[in-house]
Amino acid sequence: MSDVIDFAQVELPAVALVTEKFADEAIFVARARGMPDAPWLQLPHPVAGIGDPAMRALATDLVPRLIASFRGAR
Amino acid sequence: MSGPGLVLDAGSKMRSAASEEAALEDLHRLGCTDGLPVIIPTVSRVDRMVLAGGMGPDLSLGTIGPLDGSATVRSVAICAVMAGCRPDYFPVVLAAVSALCDPVLDIGEVQVTTHNAGPMIVVNGPARYDCGPFESGTGALGPGNQANASVGRAIRLCLLNIGGARPGIADMALTGQPAKFTFCLAEAEEDSPFPPLHVRLGYDAGQSVVTLLTAEAPRSLFCQVTEDVADCSDRLLRQLGEAVASRASNNGSWGIGEAAIILNPEHAQVLARAGLNLSDVAQQVSAFSMKPRRQLHGPAYPPGLDLDVLIGLAPEQLLIMVAGGGGVYSMVVNSWGGGVHQNRHVCAEVSYGASCEVPRPLR
Repeated sequence: MSDVIDFAQVELPAVALVTEKFADEAIFVARARGMPDAPWLQLPHPVAGIGDPAMRALATDLVPRLIASFRGAR
Repeated sequence: MSGPGLVLDAGSKMRSAASEEAALEDLHRLGCTDGLPVIIPTVSRVDRMVLAGGMGPDLSLGTIGPLDGSATVRSVAICAVMAGCRPDYFPVVLAAVSALCDPVLDIGEVQVTTHNAGPMIVVNGPARYDCGPFESGTGALGPGNQANASVGRAIRLCLLNIGGARPGIADMALTGQPAKFTFCLAEAEEDSPFPPLHVRLGYDAGQSVVTLLTAEAPRSLFCQVTEDVADCSDRLLRQLGEAVASRASNNGSWGIGEAAIILNPEHAQVLARAGLNLSDVAQQVSAFSMKPRRQLHGPAYPPGLDLDVLIGLAPEQLLIMVAGGGGVYSMVVNSWGGGVHQNRHVCAEVSYGASCEVPRPLR
């Protein structure tokens, strides 16, 4: 989330990808750094080590959401 | 620790309570403590602490992530009072917080990582006595040393209350570790055959310096001292090489970050009697730390890497100091190694003297 805010401060679009176990932290950091509406998408936890098939399925689901987020969807 | 927290900065609101007991419960409820009882930071206690620092109360030493709270002298003083610091210690606390705010330490990342890293504070120079006394001998990292214990705890309370590192919300360390309560010691400069840490890091011996490394809990390293100095020093160097790059640690698995070596004075003497200076020691420990990646990770993980590359710590990734009682055990402290700067160590000079309310004690 900090990276997204850093990017936003130099006017570069960015969306944070946050697994569900880190959702509270993402909200905390966004609020703490003064950008509570910083865009982020929640992923299942864990992502690391889930193997190629599961990772591909996750990406297939994620990409449209990511593009929509970059286009301003909330 | 589930309370909403209290941001300590120059604009902090004053709170009131019917008694010190009620105030303590209030602070626990707000999530402002480390779970242990604290000294209630009353106005007079905080003012006396601020005075001992010799700096204005609203001066900011920097920000502490992930909250990016401003570490003003007053907010740090509040944490120092809560931790049980005597005002004499406060210049050391201020120096440590200055180091904490240095971007090279990557404290914002350290605070939120799932790794268990927390800051280890090493005190060198005359401040060990003038602003202490800080323990450097037997049990230096153990209980019963007021300056060591309370200064390390003050830093933890700053990380919680200024940096916002509530466990499970912003401090995502998977299990945490005991050294996240307090982790501070002085170097036993007088018992060492080698130059002290701060001198090797570029300071004069007469300067007082704190060195911070965000680290795991320390581990013991066994080496029996014998009369055969060559054999003994060789065994010790091999043990150190194994320990600093334990294949289970980030340092050993990836060759990142830094590790600290806390030699006990007898082990330090063995190395000195073998004709080694600290540069030699670092070179040899580094050499013994190197292992082929194949041995560390096996052939399958991570894919696509050269398995014959040697992984370990370079000499400049080793912080070597002397502390503790003499005997068969020294300590090794691994670190996280993540963050933009691999959370490298940071030093800050301790500033104290005429402006300080607390007179310098006679030596």
